[in-house]
Amino acid sequence: MKTLSTLILWLFAAATQAVDALAAIKSRLVPAAIVQGHFRQEKQLKFLSKPLVSEGEFTFQQQRGVIWKTVSPVESVLLIGENRLITSQGEQALPASFGRVFPAMLGGDLAELGADFSTSAEMQPDSWRLTLLPKDPLLGKAIAAIYLAGDSELRSVEIRETGGNVSRIGFDQISRPAQLSPQQAAEFARLSP
Amino acid sequence: MRVYRPKLYAALWLLGMLALAWLTLQNLRRDWLETGFLALLPQAEQRPEVANAIERHNQAVNRKVVWLAGAANAGQAVTLAETVKTRLAASGLFAELTLQIPQQQYRQSYQQLFSYRYQLLDAKTRQALQHDPERLLRDNLETLYSPLGQLQAANLEHDPLLLFSRYFAAQNPLQLNIEHGAVVVPDGQMVRALLVGELPDRDLKLDKLELLLSLNQSLQNQVRQQGGELLATGLPLFTAYGAHLAQHEISTIGIGSTLGVVALLSLTFRSPRPLLLCCLAVAVGLLAAWNLSLLLVPKLHIMTLVFGSSLIGVVVDYALHFFCDGLGLPHWTPRRGLTYVLPGIAFGLLTSLLGYAGLGFSPFPGLREMALFSALGLVASWLTVVMLFPFLLARFRPQHQFGMLSLAGYWQRSWPERLHRYRRYLCAGFALLLVGGLSQLRAQDDVRLLQTAPTEITAADAEIRRLLPIGRDNQFFLVSGADLADWYRNERGLLDALAPLTAQAKLKQFDGVSSHWPDPTQQRADYQLLKTGVYRPDLLQRYMLNLGFEQTAIDSELQNFAAAESKTLSLDDWLASANPNLRQQWLGCNAEACRSIVVLAGIADLAPLPALAALPGVVWVDHVSQLSDLFQRYRQRVTVLLVGVCSLIMGILIYRLGWRDGVHVMSVPLLAMLTALATLGWFGELFTLFNLFALLLVLEVAVDYAVFFHMAAASAGTVDKRDTTTLAVALSAFTTLLGYGLLASSSTAIVHAFGVTLAAGVGSAFLLAPLIGFNANKSKQ
Repeated sequence: MKTLSTLILWLFAAATQAVDALAAIKSRLVPAAIVQGHFRQEKQLKFLSKPLVSEGEFTFQQQRGVIWKTVSPVESVLLIGENRLITSQGEQALPASFGRVFPAMLGGDLAELGADFSTSAEMQPDSWRLTLLPKDPLLGKAIAAIYLAGDSELRSVEIRETGGNVSRIGFDQISRPAQLSPQQAAEFARLSP
Repeated sequence: MRVYRPKLYAALWLLGMLALAWLTLQNLRRDWLETGFLALLPQAEQRPEVANAIERHNQAVNRKVVWLAGAANAGQAVTLAETVKTRLAASGLFAELTLQIPQQQYRQSYQQLFSYRYQLLDAKTRQALQHDPERLLRDNLETLYSPLGQLQAANLEHDPLLLFSRYFAAQNPLQLNIEHGAVVVPDGQMVRALLVGELPDRDLKLDKLELLLSLNQSLQNQVRQQGGELLATGLPLFTAYGAHLAQHEISTIGIGSTLGVVALLSLTFRSPRPLLLCCLAVAVGLLAAWNLSLLLVPKLHIMTLVFGSSLIGVVVDYALHFFCDGLGLPHWTPRRGLTYVLPGIAFGLLTSLLGYAGLGFSPFPGLREMALFSALGLVASWLTVVMLFPFLLARFRPQHQFGMLSLAGYWQRSWPERLHRYRRYLCAGFALLLVGGLSQLRAQDDVRLLQTAPTEITAADAEIRRLLPIGRDNQFFLVSGADLADWYRNERGLLDALAPLTAQAKLKQFDGVSSHWPDPTQQRADYQLLKTGVYRPDLLQRYMLNLGFEQTAIDSELQNFAAAESKTLSLDDWLASANPNLRQQWLGCNAEACRSIVVLAGIADLAPLPALAALPGVVWVDHVSQLSDLFQRYRQRVTVLLVGVCSLIMGILIYRLGWRDGVHVMSVPLLAMLTALATLGWFGELFTLFNLFALLLVLEVAVDYAVFFHMAAASAGTVDKRDTTTLAVALSAFTTLLGYGLLASSSTAIVHAFGVTLAAGVGSAFLLAPLIGFNANKSKQ
């Protein structure tokens, strides 16, 4: 009897802990309307002998979305708005979960993630790690888990696919300018219809 | 030989009734009511292959009801849609309800087509390969390095150039977003989940339509209570609403007019007998019309019942003449009454039947049915008056001075005199009104005006069309060719001509079989394009090695490619893998030709499209505007017919009455009809084919009025029948106005226009008829 009530108490505590963790992580992140930085992405595909590595700059703006500018190995620009995705090959359909998740991650709006994923967190004094498991079974067929890690910034995102492929994106040189550069503003302008 | 044998005729009538009763029992057992809007319209008057294509196209469109359940996020929206689906499924109305997109079919189709991957290129990729293969490779890298390219990266293993991924993505150009297994559409702060229902049959029965309407309403409320929003559209909903409205209006207008008529007749005759006899005559007419029509046509349309029963109502006039005749005479017997009224009501019946015969020649199934229904009903009612009334009126002893009769007498003496006194001004004013009104009369033939829907349904429809450009437009292209190759060339030609229109935003989308299935010649050409381009061993080797593929993988890819050289994806195999909507666009090949439909969505500018029919093997099909054209032609044709019927009646009148009287009598219906038209003009009312039926009814009653006034004048030497005639005409006019003039209050545009036409025409006929046989000099004495 005692064990049961302890168990219930523990379960309850664990549940509140997850919500608290999201809030706790959010409180560690520095809030800003604009975030920009450098990224390095590694895609490990199991049938390729080496990972696909790309590097570039990203810009996040609260209302507009994300500019994902790859500099190497090929230059390209990806614009992700709320419902739109523009690539150098033209406008493409944006998977809605991605359209919500990607900006939410970069913007540190973790509560948004709770709608699509069940979350669990590991908190260290100066770092944290968040595990996201897809709630949508369809998404779950493709993505096994997403891991976010960081300190006062989001430092890395790891996407594990069910097929065994893994993508890792690391972020550094993060800054929070008060205003967009004219070039960034011009890119975002392409997103507004 | 005695001709007047009331008992014998009554007995014969009774026999007829027994036959009808037997028929009724038979007919009640069958499914006799038609509600579908399209059943009223003629089959397209064109080549059978176009008619077939229209039928196929309409079937795909007209049975679907689309719902979008909106909530704060996708999960909630899909859950809401799930509850909606459960309730809809429980109703048993739908043959199919689709919320979850069957992933299995998608995968199956992928696998079926995958083995033909070196033969299948979409138009865009083909173009890229022809002009700039390097660009394609660069695009591949961009996709692979993008944070989004998970799916493509996974496909890379078996499709190193992502050619098949491109082809397969182009198969579903809409790229609908699927979450929690359902199609979801983001809309501002809301996410909406798509639910599509398909009815088992295009023509739903009335009770099912009512069920659909009330179910939809209650689902809207339920979803709103759960904090969501439900949008719904689809032709079945529009039909259901139309049927519901018609039914509702028939009952309210019916109750209103019945009360009015009962009050009027009770006040006039102070005896229930005339009222009951009138009801009996109309009821017999309706019963006979319903039964006998069903012997000749399989189903009756709800509109036939509405308009047909109004037309049969004319019979009340015949009965009224019979009764009113009795009021004026001291020694009236039914026999003398019948002798007096028979020529008049026989002439009335003749003119009505002439009019119906005219309608019967129109190509609209709806009109033919209406003409048949009304003619049969009218004859039955007329026979009831002539055969049964003498028997039932045998002891009808009306009081000789009725209040109403004196009133009618006073009116018929003073009204024409006043008109006569101010005839100059009145004639000038009347002419001005007529000319002014007629000059403002504008015909409208747009079929869409026939359908009335509440703003909430049309608003939801517009909203859904904005969010989801999946709804096919009504217009489409029919493409044909002598054989498969010829058809393919023709359809490619059309699709190539349509592409710039989408770029110019004149059209959102188009889709044809040939944008998914390249014909064998094209498949060979595509293979050769790859062989000499990106699949050149050195080029492929470099590209794949750069990406990090193992040498074995590169070798096996080259082997696979070489082995596939002779493969061909047949149309049948492609069709087997295609989704049902696409499959329906292929109409098949026969001895003459191969045919397909190219569908369009989101037409913003219609103008450039019909011109594309100049391309070889292409036919532009715009059913709605073709129907509108048809309406226009038949409006013109029925106008000619109406003029013909008028001339014929005039001829008969002149033959029987001589030039002067014939023209006099005929001037009443002519002026009444012109007044009705002028009224439509002044008030900017809808003027369509259907107003002409109202004019036909005006013609019938106005001829009756004038003929009876003429008969009263002709018999003036013996007994003055003008008072009783006036009473009969007045009663007839008021009952007609109560019965059908009330249709002017309808919110269904055509019914409203019908009512206005009738009210103006019958009203003016009533005011003009007393001028027949009015003798200005005599009244001065």
